[in-house]
Amino acid sequence: MFSLQGITSGIQSFLHARFSASGVLIFESLIVILLATTLFALLGLVLVWMERKVAAQMQIRLGPNRVGPMGIFQTSADTLKLILKEGLTPDGADKLLFNLAPFVVMVVAMLLLAPIAFAKGFQVWDINIGVLYITAVSSLSVIGILMAGWASNNKYSLLGAMRSGAQIVSYELSAGLSILTIVVLTGSLQLGDIINAQQNGWWLFKGHIPVIIAFVIFIIAATAETNRAPFDMAEAESELTAGFHTEYSGMKFALFFLAEYINIFIVCAIAATLFLGGWMPLHIGNWQGFNHLMDYIPSSIWFFAKTFALIFLIMWFRWTFPRLRVDQLLNLEWKYLLPISLFNLLLVTVIAILGWHF
Amino acid sequence: MTASQIIFYAISAFILGAGLLSVTSTKIFRAAIWLLFSLVGIAGLYFWMQVEFVAAVQIVVYVGGIVVLIIFSIFLTQESGKKMPKPSARKTVFSVLSALFGFGFTYNLISKYGFPIGNTKPFTVAVSDIGTQMLSTTNYGYILPFEVVSMLLLASMIGCIVIAMKTPEQKPGEPKQIKVTNNEDAPAPTVVVIPSVPEPLIIAEV
Amino acid sequence: MFLKEYLSDIYHATKSLLTGMKRTGYYFVHPKEIITEQYPDNRETLKMADRFRGEVIMPHDANNEHACTGCTACELACPNATIKIITKFDVTPEGKKKKALDTFVYHLELCTMCNLCVEACPTDAIKMGQNFEHSVYDRSMLLKKLNKPGSKIREGVE
Repeated sequence: MFSLQGITSGIQSFLHARFSASGVLIFESLIVILLATTLFALLGLVLVWMERKVAAQMQIRLGPNRVGPMGIFQTSADTLKLILKEGLTPDGADKLLFNLAPFVVMVVAMLLLAPIAFAKGFQVWDINIGVLYITAVSSLSVIGILMAGWASNNKYSLLGAMRSGAQIVSYELSAGLSILTIVVLTGSLQLGDIINAQQNGWWLFKGHIPVIIAFVIFIIAATAETNRAPFDMAEAESELTAGFHTEYSGMKFALFFLAEYINIFIVCAIAATLFLGGWMPLHIGNWQGFNHLMDYIPSSIWFFAKTFALIFLIMWFRWTFPRLRVDQLLNLEWKYLLPISLFNLLLVTVIAILGWHF
Repeated sequence: MTASQIIFYAISAFILGAGLLSVTSTKIFRAAIWLLFSLVGIAGLYFWMQVEFVAAVQIVVYVGGIVVLIIFSIFLTQESGKKMPKPSARKTVFSVLSALFGFGFTYNLISKYGFPIGNTKPFTVAVSDIGTQMLSTTNYGYILPFEVVSMLLLASMIGCIVIAMKTPEQKPGEPKQIKVTNNEDAPAPTVVVIPSVPEPLIIAEV
Repeated sequence: MFLKEYLSDIYHATKSLLTGMKRTGYYFVHPKEIITEQYPDNRETLKMADRFRGEVIMPHDANNEHACTGCTACELACPNATIKIITKFDVTPEGKKKKALDTFVYHLELCTMCNLCVEACPTDAIKMGQNFEHSVYDRSMLLKKLNKPGSKIREGVE
């Protein structure tokens, strides 16, 4: 069976035989940097194309169809255009922070990639506080947006940044609480443990209705945290032109745009890991034959299939629902999602203590 | 010098540099951002020490919470984009003196402690142990401070809700009672009875 | 009751959101519903809607006859002076002089396709055509004469 675990351990032993510990560290870091950058570029191209196609189909249109078959090279052409464009810095902007902000957003997205398990034994850093690490680092992304909004010296940008800040800070709570339900059920913060706990079935199926509620809340909160419609108050084209990245152009704009899609990928990957078992194939209890059959599909395919299914769901939201107002957004969080997820967490704790889950 | 040492010195230089810039910057927003970088650097140092839990908490509490709060309050203040005036010479001298005193004090303490050399026992604490210790009622358990802090937070949250709460809306048709203070020398608030109006007409609440 | 209202709120919100998602999901899995016209690839088979207004035309029948009496009702109805009617006097067989159309001048570059001239016409001599490919290299080519050379008014139209 095709496995990435063999390749990684092969490289590890190959490097160890030839270099000192520091040399191995440097080489492995270089490989990880190369892989992460490639993944980012590919994801950016694929997800933007996918979004445009999905949007078009849902609005009874064709979408990109000129550059290459089915328009698959459209995003490459767009990227080329953005690279060649001049990166303007407005007069009166805080130049340093203005130019730093896109990189902060990008670096945060890169940091979030570290604990995600892409396949069996294919993970950059199986940190023992994985889930806490993710919630901590994802709270940093708001800083980049606030920096961009303030440094642009533009009222649209500032308003967008303020909205985005209020939004991310409030939705982090319910996202964190719904993640906690899985932590309570597993008893570990480590993503590797959480995946292994789903050996005999994914949490979404094992955890009864409370876990399904937690999953729905997590998807809503994740949509809000990535500033996507229907929660795209931070950029709200019709109100704030483009919100916090109004003044950005060229490659700096492209970095914001890319970071948005990378963040979608990451939150969907986390949702897939926590609720749908990450790279774990679909296993049902003790059906040995069925489980064995499912194991023949490589784990990386399972991971990407689940993640892309969730990404599709979030795109489906975007092209169906109208944008919320700011007060509606905060009402939804503080009056509905937060009380429900608190109550839900209590329920899950009772289930976990009494051992009612499968 | 091993790679680990190089990383340590790089992170330390980053923290100190960002801290220095934060203190010397004349733009208040930039100062906040440098403070943020300094705090992120400290979290990085915790990661380097492999105490991931403390590092994550550092990010959640200081970077995600406090600095965002500071930035929000900067946004809401007037003239946050203006350059602040240079501090006067007297102020500068005293700040430098207090910084030097702090440095000397800390250095004195550290040098007197005399770290045992060669004690490089790996330092690993499982997160579940931290959780158990936090809620433990046995000796060296932290249940009492934990609960006291929770009560404090609860009290402050209830206080916030009370401050933010709107006065309950009156039913249409009932006359409204609104207290009006005319000026400072009015001895007591006069109560004015206004027949019902569609919009609430609150002049001042006493 | 508060809790009942709260729960029914959540129920109705979820239901309405799912209704919306059902519609877009239906479109997503039914590519036949796509209404995009890939002009100019489908120029030969392009079918314009009946109500589309591309330009003002004057239909002529097989005998090169139109129905315009030269009454200038369309010229008066036009809000931005797109139409200019030049009349002449025909001599009828009885020796009477009769007002008739000489040239129907139509400024396509000024026309907003508002349809007021067609509505004003008492004899239905003009209507809106469906041609929309109007781009030319010189503005003067947009000035059109709608009655064909040698055409005359149809018998019996007053």
